[in-house]
Amino acid sequence: MQSSISQADLQTLLHEADIAARRLIRKLRLSKDDLADVRQDLLVDVIARLPAFDPKRGSLGAFAGIVMANRAARVAHKVKRERRLCGVAPTSLDEPVPDGDGAARGDLVAEGDGLSAYFGQPVDAFAEVERRLDVERGLGALDPDDARLSAALSQSNIDELVDRDHAARSSLYRRVKNIRLALLAAGLKAA
Amino acid sequence: MISTITKLPTARRRIDETDLCGWIGQAAPGEALEYYRGFLALDTFSQAKRLTERERAELMRVARRAWWASEQKLIHLVQRRHGADDYSYLAIARAKPKYASASLSSLLLAEVA
Repeated sequence: MQSSISQADLQTLLHEADIAARRLIRKLRLSKDDLADVRQDLLVDVIARLPAFDPKRGSLGAFAGIVMANRAARVAHKVKRERRLCGVAPTSLDEPVPDGDGAARGDLVAEGDGLSAYFGQPVDAFAEVERRLDVERGLGALDPDDARLSAALSQSNIDELVDRDHAARSSLYRRVKNIRLALLAAGLKAA
Repeated sequence: MISTITKLPTARRRIDETDLCGWIGQAAPGEALEYYRGFLALDTFSQAKRLTERERAELMRVARRAWWASEQKLIHLVQRRHGADDYSYLAIARAKPKYASASLSSLLLAEVA
Protein backbone atom coordinates (compact mmCIF):
# COMPACT_ATOMS: atom_id res chain seq x y z
CA MET A 1 0.00 0.00 0.00
CA GLN A 2 1.25 3.41 -0.90
CA SER A 3 0.86 6.10 1.74
CA SER A 4 2.33 9.06 -0.15
CA ILE A 5 2.72 10.00 -3.77
CA SER A 6 5.90 11.32 -5.36
CA GLN A 7 6.01 14.25 -7.73
CA ALA A 8 6.90 11.91 -10.60
CA ASP A 9 3.96 9.65 -9.80
CA LEU A 10 1.66 12.65 -9.67
CA GLN A 11 2.89 13.73 -13.09
CA THR A 12 2.15 10.21 -14.37
CA LEU A 13 -1.38 10.37 -13.00
CA LEU A 14 -2.01 13.84 -14.43
CA HIS A 15 -0.70 12.69 -17.79
CA GLU A 16 -2.85 9.55 -17.80
CA ALA A 17 -5.90 11.54 -16.72
CA ASP A 18 -5.29 14.05 -19.49
CA ILE A 19 -5.04 11.34 -22.15
CA ALA A 20 -8.09 9.46 -20.87
CA ALA A 21 -10.17 12.63 -20.60
CA ARG A 22 -9.29 13.77 -24.14
CA ARG A 23 -10.10 10.32 -25.49
CA LEU A 24 -13.45 10.33 -23.73
CA ILE A 25 -14.33 13.84 -24.85
CA ARG A 26 -13.53 12.87 -28.45
CA LYS A 27 -15.45 9.61 -28.25
CA LEU A 28 -18.56 11.15 -26.75
CA ARG A 29 -18.27 14.34 -28.78
CA LEU A 30 -18.47 16.40 -25.66
CA SER A 31 -17.69 20.08 -25.57
CA LYS A 32 -14.09 21.10 -24.84
CA ASP A 33 -15.47 22.93 -21.83
CA ASP A 34 -16.16 19.52 -20.30
CA LEU A 35 -12.53 18.45 -20.56
CA ALA A 36 -11.48 19.86 -17.19
CA ASP A 37 -14.48 18.33 -15.44
CA VAL A 38 -13.94 14.89 -16.94
CA ARG A 39 -10.20 15.01 -16.24
CA GLN A 40 -10.87 15.92 -12.64
CA ASP A 41 -13.46 13.19 -12.33
CA LEU A 42 -11.00 10.57 -13.56
CA LEU A 43 -8.22 11.89 -11.39
CA VAL A 44 -10.27 11.92 -8.21
CA ASP A 45 -11.30 8.33 -8.85
CA VAL A 46 -7.75 7.11 -9.37
CA ILE A 47 -6.50 8.97 -6.29
CA ALA A 48 -9.26 7.42 -4.20
CA ARG A 49 -8.15 3.99 -5.38
CA LEU A 50 -4.41 4.56 -4.95
CA PRO A 51 -4.28 2.65 -1.63
CA ALA A 52 -5.06 -0.48 -3.65
CA PHE A 53 -2.06 0.05 -5.94
CA ASP A 54 0.55 -2.68 -5.58
CA PRO A 55 3.86 -1.83 -7.35
CA LYS A 56 4.73 -5.53 -7.50
CA ARG A 57 1.83 -6.15 -9.85
CA GLY A 58 2.61 -3.42 -12.37
CA SER A 59 3.50 0.19 -12.98
CA LEU A 60 1.51 3.12 -11.63
CA GLY A 61 0.76 4.19 -15.20
CA ALA A 62 -0.82 0.82 -15.98
CA PHE A 63 -2.80 0.89 -12.74
CA ALA A 64 -4.03 4.41 -13.45
CA GLY A 65 -4.85 3.45 -17.04
CA ILE A 66 -7.08 0.56 -15.95
CA VAL A 67 -8.84 2.57 -13.23
CA MET A 68 -9.46 5.47 -15.59
CA ALA A 69 -10.68 3.21 -18.37
CA ASN A 70 -13.27 1.81 -15.99
CA ARG A 71 -14.22 5.25 -14.76
CA ALA A 72 -14.43 6.53 -18.34
CA ALA A 73 -16.81 3.70 -19.21
CA ARG A 74 -19.04 4.71 -16.30
CA VAL A 75 -18.92 8.38 -17.33
CA ALA A 76 -19.79 7.39 -20.91
CA HIS A 77 -22.71 5.34 -19.65
CA LYS A 78 -23.94 8.28 -17.57
CA VAL A 79 -23.64 10.70 -20.50
CA LYS A 80 -25.53 8.32 -22.79
CA ARG A 81 -28.26 7.90 -20.21
CA GLU A 82 -28.59 11.66 -19.85
CA ARG A 83 -28.76 12.00 -23.62
CA ARG A 84 -31.51 9.42 -23.77
CA LEU A 85 -33.35 11.41 -21.12
CA CYS A 86 -32.70 14.97 -22.29
CA GLY A 87 -31.77 14.65 -25.97
CA VAL A 88 -28.42 14.68 -27.74
CA ALA A 89 -27.65 18.31 -27.11
CA PRO A 90 -28.91 19.41 -23.72
CA THR A 91 -29.65 23.09 -23.50
CA SER A 92 -29.20 25.10 -20.36
CA LEU A 93 -32.37 26.47 -18.82
CA ASP A 94 -30.38 29.60 -18.06
CA GLU A 95 -29.60 30.16 -21.73
CA PRO A 96 -31.23 33.38 -22.96
CA VAL A 97 -33.91 32.99 -25.59
CA PRO A 98 -33.05 34.79 -28.86
CA ASP A 99 -35.14 37.96 -29.09
CA GLY A 100 -36.66 37.06 -25.76
CA ASP A 101 -36.09 40.38 -24.01
CA GLY A 102 -33.77 38.76 -21.53
CA ALA A 103 -35.99 35.75 -20.83
CA ALA A 104 -34.17 32.47 -20.26
CA ARG A 105 -35.30 29.13 -21.69
CA GLY A 106 -36.33 28.05 -18.21
CA ASP A 107 -38.88 30.87 -18.10
CA LEU A 108 -40.70 29.27 -21.03
CA VAL A 109 -41.03 25.84 -19.46
CA ALA A 110 -44.32 25.31 -17.66
CA GLU A 111 -44.12 23.79 -14.21
CA GLY A 112 -46.09 20.79 -15.44
CA ASP A 113 -43.38 20.10 -18.04
CA GLY A 114 -40.53 20.41 -15.55
CA LEU A 115 -38.30 17.82 -14.01
CA SER A 116 -40.41 17.58 -10.85
CA ALA A 117 -43.46 16.65 -12.87
CA TYR A 118 -41.37 14.20 -14.91
CA PHE A 119 -40.46 12.39 -11.71
CA GLY A 120 -44.04 12.36 -10.49
CA GLN A 121 -43.91 15.14 -7.95
CA PRO A 122 -47.07 17.22 -7.67
CA VAL A 123 -46.68 20.62 -9.30
CA ASP A 124 -50.25 21.68 -9.85
CA ALA A 125 -51.46 23.43 -6.71
CA PHE A 126 -55.11 23.23 -7.79
CA ALA A 127 -54.82 19.50 -8.50
CA GLU A 128 -53.22 19.08 -5.06
CA VAL A 129 -56.15 20.82 -3.37
CA GLU A 130 -58.61 18.73 -5.39
CA ARG A 131 -56.74 15.55 -4.47
CA ARG A 132 -56.86 16.46 -0.82
CA LEU A 133 -60.60 17.08 -1.05
CA ASP A 134 -60.99 13.72 -2.81
CA VAL A 135 -58.98 12.00 -0.10
CA GLU A 136 -61.09 13.64 2.60
CA ARG A 137 -64.27 12.60 0.77
CA GLY A 138 -62.89 9.06 0.46
CA LEU A 139 -62.00 8.97 4.14
CA GLY A 140 -65.54 10.11 4.91
CA ALA A 141 -66.81 7.00 3.14
CA LEU A 142 -64.77 4.75 5.42
CA ASP A 143 -65.71 3.35 8.74
CA PRO A 144 -64.15 5.67 11.41
CA ASP A 145 -61.90 2.83 12.63
CA ASP A 146 -60.68 2.25 9.09
CA ALA A 147 -60.10 5.98 8.61
CA ARG A 148 -57.97 5.93 11.78
CA LEU A 149 -56.08 2.91 10.47
CA SER A 150 -55.42 4.77 7.20
CA ALA A 151 -54.04 7.71 9.16
CA ALA A 152 -51.91 5.36 11.26
CA LEU A 153 -50.52 3.76 8.10
CA SER A 154 -49.32 7.15 6.91
CA GLN A 155 -46.95 7.17 9.90
CA SER A 156 -46.19 3.49 10.48
CA ASN A 157 -46.04 0.25 8.58
CA ILE A 158 -47.98 -2.92 9.33
CA ASP A 159 -45.13 -4.42 11.38
CA GLU A 160 -45.00 -1.39 13.64
CA LEU A 161 -48.78 -1.40 14.10
CA VAL A 162 -48.69 -5.09 15.00
CA ASP A 163 -46.03 -4.39 17.64
CA ARG A 164 -47.69 -1.26 18.95
CA ASP A 165 -51.33 -2.30 19.06
CA HIS A 166 -50.82 -6.06 19.42
CA ALA A 167 -53.17 -6.47 16.48
CA ALA A 168 -53.31 -9.58 14.34
CA ARG A 169 -51.30 -9.11 11.17
CA SER A 170 -53.82 -11.00 9.01
CA SER A 171 -56.65 -8.89 10.35
CA LEU A 172 -54.76 -5.69 9.52
CA TYR A 173 -54.01 -6.87 6.00
CA ARG A 174 -57.66 -7.81 5.52
CA ARG A 175 -58.74 -4.37 6.66
CA VAL A 176 -56.20 -2.68 4.42
CA LYS A 177 -57.52 -4.66 1.45
CA ASN A 178 -61.06 -3.56 2.29
CA ILE A 179 -59.97 0.05 2.69
CA ARG A 180 -58.25 -0.01 -0.69
CA LEU A 181 -61.35 -1.41 -2.37
CA ALA A 182 -63.65 1.07 -0.62
CA LEU A 183 -61.43 3.97 -1.67
CA LEU A 184 -61.23 2.60 -5.20
CA ALA A 185 -65.02 2.47 -5.35
CA ALA A 186 -65.05 6.07 -4.12
CA GLY A 187 -62.88 7.00 -7.10
CA LEU A 188 -59.48 7.04 -5.40
CA LYS A 189 -56.82 4.91 -7.02
CA ALA A 190 -53.72 3.77 -5.19
CA ALA A 191 -50.79 6.08 -5.92
CA MET B 1 -83.29 3.38 -19.47
CA ILE B 2 -79.83 1.96 -19.79
CA SER B 3 -78.24 3.10 -23.00
CA THR B 4 -74.99 1.15 -22.86
CA ILE B 5 -73.92 -1.86 -20.89
CA THR B 6 -70.25 -2.48 -20.52
CA LYS B 7 -69.65 -6.12 -21.43
CA LEU B 8 -66.88 -8.18 -19.97
CA PRO B 9 -63.87 -8.58 -22.25
CA THR B 10 -64.09 -11.88 -24.10
CA ALA B 11 -60.50 -12.79 -23.30
CA ARG B 12 -61.28 -12.60 -19.61
CA ARG B 13 -64.73 -13.82 -18.74
CA ARG B 14 -65.02 -12.70 -15.15
CA ILE B 15 -64.15 -9.53 -13.36
CA ASP B 16 -62.78 -9.54 -9.86
CA GLU B 17 -63.48 -7.38 -6.85
CA THR B 18 -60.82 -4.84 -7.76
CA ASP B 19 -62.12 -4.47 -11.32
CA LEU B 20 -65.61 -3.89 -9.98
CA CYS B 21 -64.46 -1.26 -7.49
CA GLY B 22 -62.33 0.41 -10.16
CA TRP B 23 -65.32 0.59 -12.48
CA ILE B 24 -67.57 1.97 -9.73
CA GLY B 25 -64.98 4.62 -8.93
CA GLN B 26 -64.84 6.00 -12.45
CA ALA B 27 -68.32 5.29 -13.83
CA ALA B 28 -70.60 8.17 -14.68
CA PRO B 29 -74.16 8.01 -13.35
CA GLY B 30 -76.30 5.76 -15.57
CA GLU B 31 -73.43 3.66 -16.89
CA ALA B 32 -73.97 -0.05 -16.48
CA LEU B 33 -71.64 -3.00 -16.07
CA GLU B 34 -72.52 -6.62 -16.51
CA TYR B 35 -70.49 -7.99 -13.63
CA TYR B 36 -71.71 -11.55 -13.99
CA ARG B 37 -73.56 -13.69 -16.48
CA GLY B 38 -75.05 -16.94 -15.23
CA PHE B 39 -77.21 -17.85 -12.29
CA LEU B 40 -75.71 -16.23 -9.23
CA ALA B 41 -77.81 -18.02 -6.62
CA LEU B 42 -76.81 -21.39 -7.96
CA ASP B 43 -73.28 -20.57 -9.03
CA THR B 44 -72.34 -19.36 -5.56
CA PHE B 45 -73.79 -22.46 -3.94
CA SER B 46 -70.93 -24.80 -3.10
CA GLN B 47 -72.89 -28.01 -3.62
CA ALA B 48 -73.97 -27.00 -7.11
CA LYS B 49 -70.43 -27.55 -8.47
CA ARG B 50 -71.09 -25.32 -11.45
CA LEU B 51 -67.81 -23.49 -10.95
CA THR B 52 -64.43 -24.46 -9.58
CA GLU B 53 -63.89 -23.64 -5.92
CA ARG B 54 -61.56 -20.80 -6.84
CA GLU B 55 -64.01 -19.28 -9.32
CA ARG B 56 -66.83 -19.65 -6.83
CA ALA B 57 -64.83 -17.88 -4.10
CA GLU B 58 -64.03 -15.01 -6.45
CA LEU B 59 -67.66 -14.77 -7.54
CA MET B 60 -68.73 -14.63 -3.89
CA ARG B 61 -66.32 -11.76 -3.30
CA VAL B 62 -67.58 -9.88 -6.36
CA ALA B 63 -71.21 -10.45 -5.41
CA ARG B 64 -70.60 -9.33 -1.82
CA ARG B 65 -68.72 -6.24 -3.03
CA ALA B 66 -71.55 -5.39 -5.44
CA TRP B 67 -74.02 -5.70 -2.57
CA TRP B 68 -71.79 -3.53 -0.37
CA ALA B 69 -71.58 -0.89 -3.12
CA SER B 70 -75.34 -0.84 -3.48
CA GLU B 71 -75.66 -0.43 0.30
CA GLN B 72 -73.25 2.48 0.03
CA LYS B 73 -75.58 4.01 -2.59
CA LEU B 74 -72.88 3.82 -5.22
CA ILE B 75 -74.73 1.54 -7.64
CA HIS B 76 -78.10 0.00 -8.36
CA LEU B 77 -78.19 -3.76 -8.75
CA VAL B 78 -80.49 -5.18 -11.38
CA GLN B 79 -80.66 -8.35 -13.42
CA ARG B 80 -81.83 -9.20 -16.90
CA ARG B 81 -83.19 -12.63 -17.76
CA HIS B 82 -81.97 -14.23 -20.98
CA GLY B 83 -83.35 -17.70 -20.49
CA ALA B 84 -83.57 -20.49 -17.98
CA ASP B 85 -80.84 -20.12 -15.35
CA ASP B 86 -79.23 -17.44 -17.47
CA TYR B 87 -79.16 -13.89 -16.20
CA SER B 88 -77.05 -10.81 -16.68
CA TYR B 89 -76.26 -9.20 -13.36
CA LEU B 90 -75.91 -5.49 -13.87
CA ALA B 91 -74.48 -2.74 -11.76
CA ILE B 92 -75.72 0.71 -12.69
CA ALA B 93 -73.68 3.62 -11.43
CA ARG B 94 -75.44 6.20 -9.31
CA ALA B 95 -74.44 9.79 -8.67
CA LYS B 96 -71.71 9.74 -6.07
CA PRO B 97 -73.19 10.22 -2.61
CA LYS B 98 -72.08 13.31 -0.74
CA TYR B 99 -70.33 11.82 2.26
CA ALA B 100 -69.47 14.05 5.16
CA SER B 101 -65.77 14.52 4.53
CA ALA B 102 -63.36 13.44 7.20
CA SER B 103 -60.69 15.99 7.99
CA LEU B 104 -57.35 14.60 6.89
CA SER B 105 -55.50 17.01 9.17
CA SER B 106 -57.52 15.98 12.23
CA LEU B 107 -56.91 12.31 11.54
CA LEU B 108 -53.19 12.80 11.04
CA LEU B 109 -52.90 15.02 14.10
CA ALA B 110 -54.80 12.49 16.20
CA GLU B 111 -52.43 9.80 14.97
CA VAL B 112 -49.33 11.81 15.85
CA ALA B 113 -50.76 12.67 19.28
